[in-house]
Amino acid sequence: MSMNRIILLMLLLFIVEGAVMPWIIPGNFGDRIIPHFIFIIVIFSALYSGRHRALLLGASFGLLQDIVYFGHLLGLHAFLMGLIGYYTGVLFERRRATIMMAIAVIGFACLLYDSVLFFIYKVFRITNDAYAWALLDYILPSLFLQLAFALSIYVPVRKWFESQTMANQEKDEE
Amino acid sequence: MRNKRMFMLMFGFILLIAVIGFSLSDRKELTWPEKFVKNSAAYVQQWFYKPAGLIAGFFEEIGELRTIHEENEQLRLMAAAYARDKITYNFESKENERLKDELSFTKRQKQMYNYNYLIAQVVSISNDANNRSMNINLGSKNGVKPNMAVTTVEGLIGIVSSVTPYSATVTPITELDEASPTFNSIAVTIMGRENESFGILSSYNSETNRLLMTKIAENDKMSISDTVITSGLGNVYPRGLVIGSVESKQVGDYGLTYTAAVKLAASFDHLTEVFVVQNPEAEDASE
Repeated sequence: MSMNRIILLMLLLFIVEGAVMPWIIPGNFGDRIIPHFIFIIVIFSALYSGRHRALLLGASFGLLQDIVYFGHLLGLHAFLMGLIGYYTGVLFERRRATIMMAIAVIGFACLLYDSVLFFIYKVFRITNDAYAWALLDYILPSLFLQLAFALSIYVPVRKWFESQTMANQEKDEE
Repeated sequence: MRNKRMFMLMFGFILLIAVIGFSLSDRKELTWPEKFVKNSAAYVQQWFYKPAGLIAGFFEEIGELRTIHEENEQLRLMAAAYARDKITYNFESKENERLKDELSFTKRQKQMYNYNYLIAQVVSISNDANNRSMNINLGSKNGVKPNMAVTTVEGLIGIVSSVTPYSATVTPITELDEASPTFNSIAVTIMGRENESFGILSSYNSETNRLLMTKIAENDKMSISDTVITSGLGNVYPRGLVIGSVESKQVGDYGLTYTAAVKLAASFDHLTEVFVVQNPEAEDASE
């Protein structure tokens, strides 16, 4: 799986996230379950493909999201996705994560991502809610969707990224 | 190596602050790269959103098959009432026109409330809990401008926050907040007592899902379950758009005015068609 194909699939996922997911989530949960699929792929790339790739993917897709859904602030998602992706990559540079490990890391990363987003919006007074309320209202419910999604795509995504890194290494050796 | 990492982190952070500062500044228009990316994204997204809606709608309709008979009966009653009202309306509007002519209103005054409704398709919804903006498939080429009100059949859902040539972004009314730099308060009144009631919708409480209406006069006869509509006094929102219904009313902070909780009429789940309200008055003002 080449990098181009991965990027193409991520673009498709980006579209699905904004245009199809609102229809799949049941009616009353529209603003409580919020998908972060692109972010999950970025974390996967950090786990199985290295920190620099995660930084690049995170920053560019974050910027895409910032621009397409511009409402209050630019650059937030780009910064957070890049940063969290990069540091996950740093943590898992020397070991290969097992499935449980990967899911746990994705869970924590999603919690961190949503929480930091919330606090930045709070600093700029765009939201006035209490953190405890936000946690119960949307951060935890969406975490379940995130984990289910990560679990369902674990096998193919790991294969893509690992085969992709492997191919790169062979090229380097040659 | 460590130093380089720290340096990159600081550099990224400074860049973030700079970009946030840039986006917070009061800018009238988007930059061209933003317009380009938004346009192309909206163009692709509209192929996905509508079919997904059609498929989801099909299953919902199967579920609703039972209630459809009752709904039909209600609609028939409403259609009969509408036909009666239409006759009165025609007489009244003729009369009104004649009076305006006699009082020699200017052209602008006559056109003031002649709103034009543009029908638009939602193409995508943001996946950020604190920024639930929606993209629609009409843009400045179709005459959409920032600050135009957007409604569904049920009621007001938000205002256009930014436009590109072929798409526009709608900030939902749930982001209404006095302290927030991006959304203005809405002047409202009560349907049926337009000249007597007045209030200002100042913020949305996401914990209770209610809008807060403030500055209601002490002697206001507003009561529970009255329909709240825009009054058009703020010159941003057109008048007469349904917003919701009054749910409770209590004495405000200083005891001089009342506040009320307003339940939104429109629902934000599974939105498809929305209407952008073109305000001829606003167009004149900007020219």
